[in-house]
Amino acid sequence: MAMRNAYIDQFPKEARVIRAILWSSFLALTIGGTLGLIQGLHRTNILRFIPSQDYYTVLTAHGVLLVITFTIFFLVGIFTWAVTTSLDRGVEDIRFTWGWYIMMVIGTILVGVSILGGVVEQIPMNADVLFTFYSPLQAHPAFYIGLVLFVVGSWLAGVDWFRMWWAWKKENPDERIPLPTFMALTTMLFWYLSSLGVAISILAFLLPWSLGIIDSVNPLLTRTLFWFFGHPVVYFWLMPAYMLWYTMLPKISGGKLFSDPLARVVFVLFLILSTPVGIHHQYLDPGIAEGFKFIAMTNTMFLLLPSLLTAFTVVASMEHGARQRGGDGYLSWLKALPWRDPVFTGMALAGLMFAAGGFSGMINAGLNINYLVHNSWWVVGHFHLTVGTAVALTFMAASYWFMPQLTGKELWNRSVALVQVVLWFIGMTFMSNAMHRAGLFGMPRRTAEPQYQGFNFEPAVGTVGEINAQVALGAVLLTISVYLFIVNMVLTTVGGSSSDAIPDNTYAGTLSGPEDSPVILDNLKLWTSIAVVLVIIAYSLPLASIIDAGGLFGPGIDAWKPSVVADPTLVLESIRGVMF
Amino acid sequence: MNIHTYEKIWLAVAMVLIVGFIATVTYGAVGPGIAMIDDDGGTIDPDTINDDERFSDPGVTHVGGNEYEATVVAQAWSYTPSEITVPANSTVTFYVTSRDVTHSFTVAGTNVNTMVVPGQVSQMTVEFDEPGEYGILCNEYCGAYHHTMEGELNVVPQDEFDLTELSTDAPSEAQLGNQTTINTTVSNDMNYDLETTATLEIGDQPLDQDVTVPAHGSETVEFAVDTTDLGTGDHDWTVTVDGHEESDTLTVTNATEGGDGDA
Repeated sequence: MAMRNAYIDQFPKEARVIRAILWSSFLALTIGGTLGLIQGLHRTNILRFIPSQDYYTVLTAHGVLLVITFTIFFLVGIFTWAVTTSLDRGVEDIRFTWGWYIMMVIGTILVGVSILGGVVEQIPMNADVLFTFYSPLQAHPAFYIGLVLFVVGSWLAGVDWFRMWWAWKKENPDERIPLPTFMALTTMLFWYLSSLGVAISILAFLLPWSLGIIDSVNPLLTRTLFWFFGHPVVYFWLMPAYMLWYTMLPKISGGKLFSDPLARVVFVLFLILSTPVGIHHQYLDPGIAEGFKFIAMTNTMFLLLPSLLTAFTVVASMEHGARQRGGDGYLSWLKALPWRDPVFTGMALAGLMFAAGGFSGMINAGLNINYLVHNSWWVVGHFHLTVGTAVALTFMAASYWFMPQLTGKELWNRSVALVQVVLWFIGMTFMSNAMHRAGLFGMPRRTAEPQYQGFNFEPAVGTVGEINAQVALGAVLLTISVYLFIVNMVLTTVGGSSSDAIPDNTYAGTLSGPEDSPVILDNLKLWTSIAVVLVIIAYSLPLASIIDAGGLFGPGIDAWKPSVVADPTLVLESIRGVMF
Repeated sequence: MNIHTYEKIWLAVAMVLIVGFIATVTYGAVGPGIAMIDDDGGTIDPDTINDDERFSDPGVTHVGGNEYEATVVAQAWSYTPSEITVPANSTVTFYVTSRDVTHSFTVAGTNVNTMVVPGQVSQMTVEFDEPGEYGILCNEYCGAYHHTMEGELNVVPQDEFDLTELSTDAPSEAQLGNQTTINTTVSNDMNYDLETTATLEIGDQPLDQDVTVPAHGSETVEFAVDTTDLGTGDHDWTVTVDGHEESDTLTVTNATEGGDGDA
């Protein structure tokens, strides 16, 4: 009998901690996905069983659990796999690894409980502030402390990978950094740089303010610091998906990665350009000069380049794989791809949807046309294609390969897995096209009841009812898809016995290897320095002018705690009392 | 570095696309002159909004020619004023600020859209060519009843537009035989004097009075009413100025009847 060489055989200790990390991620996905269904049915007025004011608690939890907890837990797990596998060595100290994981868990619990306080009276906390927590909306201190613990935990995960790389470099001084490790490290570098913004926002302003140590903040300043982190974070979610497209998808297609050098170029471009773009989320903000917005727009447009390069390399790698499998012709090679493999089909469909999401993203990036769609449902349609499909569907598809690697057990049911990834694609097609279209006639995002007293929305094509029906149908299909995924993961883990048929733990080879690229690409210090310089250019003047105009702590801004508001008519009365 | 020919072509096409995008945005800014929200509005302490020259009495005023200013205060969960009327073929500069949390001021289905951040004044100039009715909504989460925050924007034909307002002060009761007065204050927020006629209809005879209201000012018109001509009983009255009306009822009582004694 041939020796099995799965990840769990090579790195049993690491496999255990990665399993724990992925389960944390999947738990967040299950809860967050279910909340998404409640929202989809509530907004569209198809089924409302919660009061509309509680919608915002549900929305906060949906956002935080899916774009912070689900994605970041998954990626720290998968990067740990990538670094250990490609350096072929374990972590330096497994206690350190468990340490940062537990820190992230504690952070998640603090955040989760404080959000839950919005609907559970027994918990004297409230964090109905959404994923963006714009001041002067104020959350309970536990919410901010939890976020800090979670982010610092992710920083320590990066330290774990850098320690492995430094140790490896001592033993292999003349070797190029293996591609998966290169990807994990460059991603982590821009994460350190960009999450500094949110760390300053919370530690210097929002946390002391929520504890009563300072009594006012500058809302535009904390908002700008949030977006300093808020756009790079989307690349933090996306880079592990890219890594899977570069290092897994070619192999699963039956071939090799088209170009290792260009993959490195792509990740270097993300390291350099991810952060100095955040102001493109603030095109409509007062207090920021047009010139600064223009700089952010230019950087954003250039950030299309690495994604366009990725599209080429990934498709070329898939074509190479298909031809190895006997495919031919201009397009008929597509038929030779392994469409019955859920890992392949999930990732390929995720990539296809990402192309659509990329196009709506180009619209968002347009400084002037953005005024039409800003904060509309269009934006929600956009990011459900990007983080909600390119990232989430890639992660789920990859899990069908990873879970057997991490448990030594075969996937419970490949057919269910195939149905699951296709169902996600269909559900998201319904939901996101309808959201995009609704945004074009001005239907806003982040609202419990987009039905107004004084006016009606006027779609150019179709009706509001038809759009709502598509969103609700999509939400139902997506939720079913999440449950099918979870059932498969649970039954893979708890059922079955260890199997010898698990494939070896490997990643894709390359047609053009690192030897075809200049060594300077591996100079992480150089690229980090350039990234820092670009951030200084893009941010120092806007931040200085915001502080100069509004003060470090703002012009006497009072905190607004969502929980203290009991009755809207009373509040309106009191406002009228002040006004007249 | 070894790059495949196809990939070089792709790279070139991608760069053309990117530069093209940047060029169209640049053209939009310098060609048709699509202005962005920037820092022109300045900052404001939210606690001083009620005393602020611009925001203490929010609404539409005339600047001159076809230019207008509209100031709006956003607060959870309403706009003041909640209904804005401007003429067609006008250029309106909006000044919007927030009393509490971050809101937006968004005219649904158009590119009139700005964030409203407390401490900041959003300034935005809009051209209105055609008459129409639009909804205004808040698209930034601002608390538990965020979804109820809305307003209306009416663009009316130029000949139906003015900035004249009436405010009438009249007694509800008078004794037969006494003189009483109905005072109407006409305010004018246009940037030129308003020459018009105020008309009081009560009893059989309409009373006309010419009045000149200064630009951005007001003038009070006094109508003397002789109760003897009216006789006892309820008398409906209406004051009309350029199509704006105010009406109520004056009750003339017989002195000896006494009424309920508070005349």
